[in-house]
Amino acid sequence: MAALAPSRAPGARAADRRGRRWPRPSWRTLGAALVIALFVPPLVLLVSGSLRQPGLPPPLTPELVPDPLVTGNYAEAVDLGGLLRATANSLLVAALAVPLSVAVASLAGFALTQLPARVTRAVIAASLVALMVPVTALLVPRFAVFRVLGLTDGFVPLVAPALIATSPLYALVYYVAFRALPRDLYDACRLEDVSPLRTWWTVAMPLVRPVTAAIAALSFVLTWSNFLDPLVYLYDRELFTLPLALRSLSTLDPTNYPLFLAGAVVATVPALVVFGIAQRRFLHEYRGPGWLGR
Amino acid sequence: MSGVVLEGVRAHYGDTEVLRGIDLSVPAGELLVVLGPSGSGKSTLLRVVAGLEPLTAGRVRIGGRDVTGMRAGRRNVSMVFQSYALFPHLTVERNIAFGLEVRDVPKREAQQRSRAAAALVGCEPLLQRRPAQLSGGERQRVALARALVREPDVLLLDEPLSNLDAELRVQTRAELRSLHARVGGTMLHVTHDQVEALVLGDRVAVLRDGLIEQVGTPDEIWGSPATRFVARFVGTPAMNLLPADGPLRLPGVPAGRLEAGVRPEALVLGGEGLPARVELVEVVGGDAHVHLRADGLPLVARVPAAGRPSVGDIVHAAVHPDDVHLFDVDTGRRVRRA
Repeated sequence: MAALAPSRAPGARAADRRGRRWPRPSWRTLGAALVIALFVPPLVLLVSGSLRQPGLPPPLTPELVPDPLVTGNYAEAVDLGGLLRATANSLLVAALAVPLSVAVASLAGFALTQLPARVTRAVIAASLVALMVPVTALLVPRFAVFRVLGLTDGFVPLVAPALIATSPLYALVYYVAFRALPRDLYDACRLEDVSPLRTWWTVAMPLVRPVTAAIAALSFVLTWSNFLDPLVYLYDRELFTLPLALRSLSTLDPTNYPLFLAGAVVATVPALVVFGIAQRRFLHEYRGPGWLGR
Repeated sequence: MSGVVLEGVRAHYGDTEVLRGIDLSVPAGELLVVLGPSGSGKSTLLRVVAGLEPLTAGRVRIGGRDVTGMRAGRRNVSMVFQSYALFPHLTVERNIAFGLEVRDVPKREAQQRSRAAAALVGCEPLLQRRPAQLSGGERQRVALARALVREPDVLLLDEPLSNLDAELRVQTRAELRSLHARVGGTMLHVTHDQVEALVLGDRVAVLRDGLIEQVGTPDEIWGSPATRFVARFVGTPAMNLLPADGPLRLPGVPAGRLEAGVRPEALVLGGEGLPARVELVEVVGGDAHVHLRADGLPLVARVPAAGRPSVGDIVHAAVHPDDVHLFDVDTGRRVRRA
């Protein structure tokens, strides 16, 4: 009896000789590849530049592995720029500002879902208007307020924006996420006499973990890379955050770019680590069929 | 458990009046089914009793207490939502115990009570699973257990069977009836399914456009529909309506503009009666729905599929006078025969 050759179903993925299956490229994969192509080369050049020997003229063509390879720039950048202290200062500011920002944004977003529709619309309109106001337009009035309160040359002005969720956008993102939860879940809480605050904490927040991870990552990057506020409010070098310390490093010897790039790598690594941790939450959370009863 | 009384209840959604003056009394321990088409206000009625929707007028009493201005969590009512509203991030056990945990019931007692509730509805083996790992029927049981664990004064069920397939719906319907017999509490069950209403309810309240058309036992709803709407809404195929002084020539019909209602199963097709032409035959299992036209009027008869006529046949349709319901054409209300 002749054996029938197995026919390949339409849409089946190609298998190599070892039987491994390769995913067919999709638009999503192509989009991701494009983003990588845009953002990875500057990172590679940053690391490669930080490993060049100081004093040499810049290479005429991009140089992936410098010759000679010098790692001493890192120790020198940390030492000269006071990067360890600056990193500790930046971490302290982020440790205060990010959780505060997430808590305030999520509470504001949750409150918007519980208010009458007319009030919610008015608050959203006001938030959108607030989003249009450039940060620099508020710099002078904010500085005047903090100076009158005697809070300049400290971390309070750097953390204070978190008290209003850092950006209205974060509260709006939470509002959209909470609104997407079935109303019956909130009604079930009302029937059990659960307070709005407890509903927010025990039911709503666990159901929007990917949003929290995304907002935390965004808030961290914004706080971590904040240059303008430390420049305006901090005078004592001991209080300098990383962006300000990097600026000081670049002014020490403007031609010594390997030193500056080494400092930039040190400043970039924590942001990458935070994003790496957060993306596991907002990209890989499996919700399975039947999530939210749909 | 306690009885529920609604007095002149009105409720709005924006400019639309959804409940237009509901008076209803549900004695303690009764299973009342609220039956109505989509948009009739039946879910709103349930939400008003639960305290999830505000009233614009009227009063709600539970167990003699006026709960009109009381917030939902203080009324001691439980609800099974159409979507079941299980918390997806909690296990079945914690879903059931949720209401006890938030009321600071000691952990050990909460665990014992939630396991007892799970045993009552037969979902004990599911306690460590999450809602996403359950089938529709299992979720429905868990939602019931969560509603029962607090021993509420009133249990509200908002179309809890509508998401189940036909076989499971029949099975769960019987289980609900048995559960009510065992628990013995006051239950308000909302549905648009007339069979579910007639099978489950101690009494049935038929709702239309925010008003109650009739409240009665399933036998009364079926046998003596109070209005033309109830007569047509309950029963598949719907009751035939034709002029009372028309071709059926019924005895004892009082004067006035009246309509005669005849249920399809009350029409007898045989050698005597009104001649009618068969226009369509639908076979539904052991029954056949025979669509007829007699004197220009459409009629539907339900007959055993085995003896059904064929399309184009001329048959004779007759009805026993006792099986004829009379309705006033202008008011739509039932008229007693002389």
